[in-house]
Amino acid sequence: MANPFSTDHRVIAKQYFALSLTSVIAGVLLSLLMRYHLVYPQSQVKWFEALWPISAQGGIMTPELYLSLLTLHGTLMVFFVLTLAPLNAFGNLVLPHQLGASRMAFPRLNMLSFWIALLSFLLLIASFVSLGGGPLSGWTAYPPLSAVGAIAGPGEGRGQTLWFFSIAAFSLSSTLTAINFIATVIDCRAPGLRLMQMPLTCWNWFVAAILSLLSFPVLLAAGLLILLDRLAGTSFFVPAGLQIADQQILHSGGSPLLWQHLFWFFGHPEVYIAILPAMGVVSVILSRDREGVIFGYRAMVASTIAIAFLGLLVWGHHMFISGLNPYSAIAFSFLTMSIAIPAAVKTLTWIATAWMQKPEFTTATLFALGFVSIFVTGGLSGLFLAQPQLDAYFHDTYFVVAHFHLIMGIAALFGIFAGTFHWFPLMFGRTLNEPLGKLHFYLTFVFAYATFLPMHFAGFAGNPRRYADFTTFDFLAPLLPLQKWITHSAFTLAAVQLIFLWNLVHTLVTQPKRSAVVMERY
Amino acid sequence: MPTLTQSNIGGPPPTIPDLPPGGGGGDDRGRNDRHNQRNASITGILVLMCASIMTFAALVSAMMVRRGLNNDWHKLPLPQILYWNTGILVLSSIALDVARRQLKRNKRQLFNWLWTAGTLMGAWFLVGQIIAWEQLASRGFFLQGNPSSAFFYVLTWAHAAHVVGALFAVSYVEFRALRFELGLNRRTWVDVSALFWHFLDVLWLGIMGLFVYWA
Repeated sequence: MANPFSTDHRVIAKQYFALSLTSVIAGVLLSLLMRYHLVYPQSQVKWFEALWPISAQGGIMTPELYLSLLTLHGTLMVFFVLTLAPLNAFGNLVLPHQLGASRMAFPRLNMLSFWIALLSFLLLIASFVSLGGGPLSGWTAYPPLSAVGAIAGPGEGRGQTLWFFSIAAFSLSSTLTAINFIATVIDCRAPGLRLMQMPLTCWNWFVAAILSLLSFPVLLAAGLLILLDRLAGTSFFVPAGLQIADQQILHSGGSPLLWQHLFWFFGHPEVYIAILPAMGVVSVILSRDREGVIFGYRAMVASTIAIAFLGLLVWGHHMFISGLNPYSAIAFSFLTMSIAIPAAVKTLTWIATAWMQKPEFTTATLFALGFVSIFVTGGLSGLFLAQPQLDAYFHDTYFVVAHFHLIMGIAALFGIFAGTFHWFPLMFGRTLNEPLGKLHFYLTFVFAYATFLPMHFAGFAGNPRRYADFTTFDFLAPLLPLQKWITHSAFTLAAVQLIFLWNLVHTLVTQPKRSAVVMERY
Repeated sequence: MPTLTQSNIGGPPPTIPDLPPGGGGGDDRGRNDRHNQRNASITGILVLMCASIMTFAALVSAMMVRRGLNNDWHKLPLPQILYWNTGILVLSSIALDVARRQLKRNKRQLFNWLWTAGTLMGAWFLVGQIIAWEQLASRGFFLQGNPSSAFFYVLTWAHAAHVVGALFAVSYVEFRALRFELGLNRRTWVDVSALFWHFLDVLWLGIMGLFVYWA
């Protein structure tokens, strides 16, 4: 058993990996509970009542419980899975080796970052088991309801406060990690290794770290302001004259829109913090069989930088229906759609690289190719949402759920799976079972599409998101069979992941550890 | 050391055949030598400054937006002591920098005197800030009051939190300096903490300027 306070970047990588794995398992289980409740809201489940005696009396979830599950699912997945696994876990594992360094620039800071991230995780869990229940505001925590305390609903009291402390801690941890990554890339490269000779993985971690550095401090600032609104009675985000539950709220003159600007200034780059490392992994895996030659290396680096730069300028497209000035909406819309150019450069380059390399179809390669497919599908729906006129209709529908789950969730997860299969020998000195891996890939690929593609149609039909129950609305009755299909498919998709878990555990338990790992392939 | 050739550009870099230990001190095997670590430390502090700038930029932009939202903004009458604090902070910055230059010339005794003076003035600045907050509170300006006072407290607290962190670093240098552990080849901590201290100095001048001329 390694020292838990180790400063070895490989140990820290495994710690992040374990934290992400725990979070993804919890996040998936939460999503299953939500999907089940959405289509069978009246069925009485005994153990719901055992788990939540107050908010699931008689085995039926309250809408508030549904919203708290939604919040925990979103927070776990966005922060503790999509941020930690591709950047912190794989970055720590591989970056120093690929740079020819023996360690990260600041090993102790690295260890501290992990422990702050773990503290953040524990605070998040505490927010859900605290008295009153978990917060209901979703991972975006829009004020005023997230800023006025328990009057806004059960879980909006202590639970929401703990949630904000958790996010503040996470922001601090991510900022420190970003400092470490940037300093490592700039100063710890092997002598003679120039920036334009680095593998694309290093470039993508480097740029993702820069995005982290520029966006997480803004979330930290916003989190501190909203904590003051909640705990010290200030009015940064709470408007005057607000009445909730027949009670006058004693705040004056703040603006909920201000939170949205600050939050999405972080929130949109966050999407790229999650996806850029996955892009790097895909590039390296697709090119590994022929000495790592990549078609259009310079174009890949340039498009990574372009995506990150544009990603910093487009936060307003999350706010088209928030009362944004139409002129600024046009600017945000134009900038958002222009991201399609570097994204297309990347896609074509991956296809060209795969074409040139004619890679062996290992599980890692399959997941890398699957990533390209999902990236295109999820990206195309982004072009719809980038237009204010269309977004006015789509914004609160399942179309958005489909879009971000494909482009951010499944695409990044495919990158994580590809990285896990590719770098498992480096992490544990063992190789994951290939036939099982391929079975896992094909089933995951099919059921990921089967789950998220129909959500587009639900969105077209105007099916609202964030509703806890579809059965009580006449206009949603024709969509119920579709939603049931999605639920069944989601359960199957989750069940398929047991193959991966089995592969992971079985390999670790039964395979002997190889003493030396051949580094050249990684 | 494997060499880089045209054919492997963009591919995997030269790798280390046997895995060296990956963390902690003293196990660097000459790769991350002291020179590299010094560069990394300076890069690290510059990058940390970028993070701080982003935090303050977020707070200041929130302040600008908030001021434009309603007509309820009142100019905050600043306590006189803030100007004294500003002077002390600038002086401490000068003292630390002159000290840093003396160490570069290997004048360790003079360095110790100047660094001690700078550290004490830094601590004095913090005490002055506490007095300023108390004076404001005694005149009825609280966090919950007008948005101008709310933002004043938030920005000065955030700055003070940075100063506390920097004081720890400067005091650590002081502790090592008094034991004569620092010298020409051992001054990374000195340079890094002085650099960050100057940054906090400039940051404070910006915050003061904002409240004197604008808010």
